[in-house]
Amino acid sequence: MSPRSAPCPTRCLSARQALVAVRRVLLAQFSAFPANGADLYEELKSSTAILPTGSPSLDQLLDSGLYTGEVTELMGAPGSGKTQVCLSIAASVSLGLKQHVLFLDSTGGFTASRLYQMLQAQAEDEEEQAVGDTALSQLEALQRIQVARVFDVYEMLSALQEVRDRLSQQAVSCTGPLKTVVIDSVSAVIHPLLGGRQSEGLAIMMQLARELKMLAKEFSLAVVVTNQVTRDSSTGLLKPALGRSWSFVPSTRVLLESKGAAWEEATTRRSASLAKSPRQPTGMQVELDIGNSDVQEPSPATPTEGL
Amino acid sequence: MQRAVGSLPLGPALRARLAAAGFQTAQELLDTGPCGLSREIGISKEEALEALQVVRQECSGDAARTAGGAGTTRKCTALELLEEEQAQGFIITFCSALDNILGGGVQLTKITEVCGAPGVGKTQLCMQLAVDVQIPECFGGVCGEAVFIDTEGSFMVDRVADIAAACVQHCRLIAEAHQEEDHQKALETFSLESILSHIYYFRCRDYIELLAQVYLLPDFLSEHSKVRLVVIDGIAFPFRHDFEDLSLRTRLLNGLAQQLIIIANDHKSAVVLTNQMTTRIGQSQSTLVPALGESWGHAATVRLIFHWDKSQRLATLYKSPSQKESTIPYTITPHGFRDVQPPAVTQNTESTEMNPRKRPRREEEK
Repeated sequence: MSPRSAPCPTRCLSARQALVAVRRVLLAQFSAFPANGADLYEELKSSTAILPTGSPSLDQLLDSGLYTGEVTELMGAPGSGKTQVCLSIAASVSLGLKQHVLFLDSTGGFTASRLYQMLQAQAEDEEEQAVGDTALSQLEALQRIQVARVFDVYEMLSALQEVRDRLSQQAVSCTGPLKTVVIDSVSAVIHPLLGGRQSEGLAIMMQLARELKMLAKEFSLAVVVTNQVTRDSSTGLLKPALGRSWSFVPSTRVLLESKGAAWEEATTRRSASLAKSPRQPTGMQVELDIGNSDVQEPSPATPTEGL
Repeated sequence: MQRAVGSLPLGPALRARLAAAGFQTAQELLDTGPCGLSREIGISKEEALEALQVVRQECSGDAARTAGGAGTTRKCTALELLEEEQAQGFIITFCSALDNILGGGVQLTKITEVCGAPGVGKTQLCMQLAVDVQIPECFGGVCGEAVFIDTEGSFMVDRVADIAAACVQHCRLIAEAHQEEDHQKALETFSLESILSHIYYFRCRDYIELLAQVYLLPDFLSEHSKVRLVVIDGIAFPFRHDFEDLSLRTRLLNGLAQQLIIIANDHKSAVVLTNQMTTRIGQSQSTLVPALGESWGHAATVRLIFHWDKSQRLATLYKSPSQKESTIPYTITPHGFRDVQPPAVTQNTESTEMNPRKRPRREEEK
């Protein structure tokens, strides 16, 4: 690719022409072309889908549901209901939209019997007049949810790479239309690597972030991740784990909190507030009930706007 | 093989050199070969060979997964998981109220954490579970062995002997009530000596020994494949005193948690940890919260908090993926961990009549 400068003039000219041709090819391949805003809007309208989460109040918080092409993050203290909301999303997409879901579990919190409970509750809610066996549709819904247990960040990266390979090869038979990837606790695999003096943890975290965003954008998937909260040492307040660098990765962040003050009051009511969103005002809050059957709202929730 | 070089498990210095030399994907590395690689980035041939072996292993693992081979990956549909879960047993605690709120008992393949103030009964529960995991399957147990890692030195062998004797007595009474062949056969092997000989006891004195023990545990478990319970009594103790660097402590604990969940999953065993309580001083009042910080709270899948209410011991299920939060009373008798008795009924008749959990399970097996 690097032509040597030739002694005689005729070869010098052709070398320069070769350089110019090469430059033209490089520009054509790698430079960014401006796109028309209207074209972009049309493209987004046709490729983006909005997926219901299975809980109307959460859908309201997220501006009618999960958007494909974006990364949504749920964060909360232990026991605040992150895994329950993830299970509810998986159940709703699989049962309601009949699409495949990939669930990457890194904490061991995935309980299939609880998922089955949620499917049963959702099936009862929606279709009272359904024909024949709802039990069969629930089993089919269970089959559409693929669960991979990844307890290490490299395993998670290979699982995501495998998803990318499968989607780009268009192997429709086994996966079907995959639209949602739920990762329960991305911080469980990254937190052990962060901190200290080495920056390797940050590099791996950014690699994972890049994979997630690429999956979301290129294949129009809705990616849901859960994050932990840690206590800020100076102020004593709770803040999301994984630091500032990760906070730029998800486009929407929802904080889940328990309604009871401490563990002495046992309650199934949770409140979800919007911490970051490209579409809604932050500070919106709704109530959820991660009760026996389903993630549903206990009473009409009034979103409180304000900062 | 379009795996980006940044996502491969190589050392950071090596990764930096590869990035500087312009390598982007794993395929380019494999095409270059060890000699070319050592020339390009200036490392020795042995290091290049090692790096390429790692890359090849990762990529062949990927290829096996794409082709649909199962291998060692943990991937399945939710339906298969549901069937697996329904076939799995629980480790009962002999306190039926506690078993009920846990959904049947301590679940295998999950980490359960028991927090409580000193003297409330955490070690008693651990010793009870170490005996209960060995109950034969015909009596409703999982027939496994137990690993007990002790950091506080609170394991009393004579107390375990008492608990084991009570358990054997209980099973003998059930076998007499239902005269069955396999019950008698199981009773022959289920005796005090066999129970005590199947509890593997490790004593760790500081956090380094504890970490080493947990990281060496997979090798031990692959030799003793019948182990179904790993108890770490006192995970807070070595990490709480004499630890200056708190961020190091968080990192070590998180790494420990991931290692434990891998053990629980691969060997289908339950992991039970005990934690201490600490006081959080808020604006107006102070509350008792589990120790080791916020991030440790995410490590356990199921969290039980034991506390006192005047003179009654209570257990609260605080965190569980499938059960609701609730509180029940329990008591500790000379025979071990038990339900709170209604005062009129004596111990013996209670053990033959009012144990409804055991009956249905055996009837199903018929």
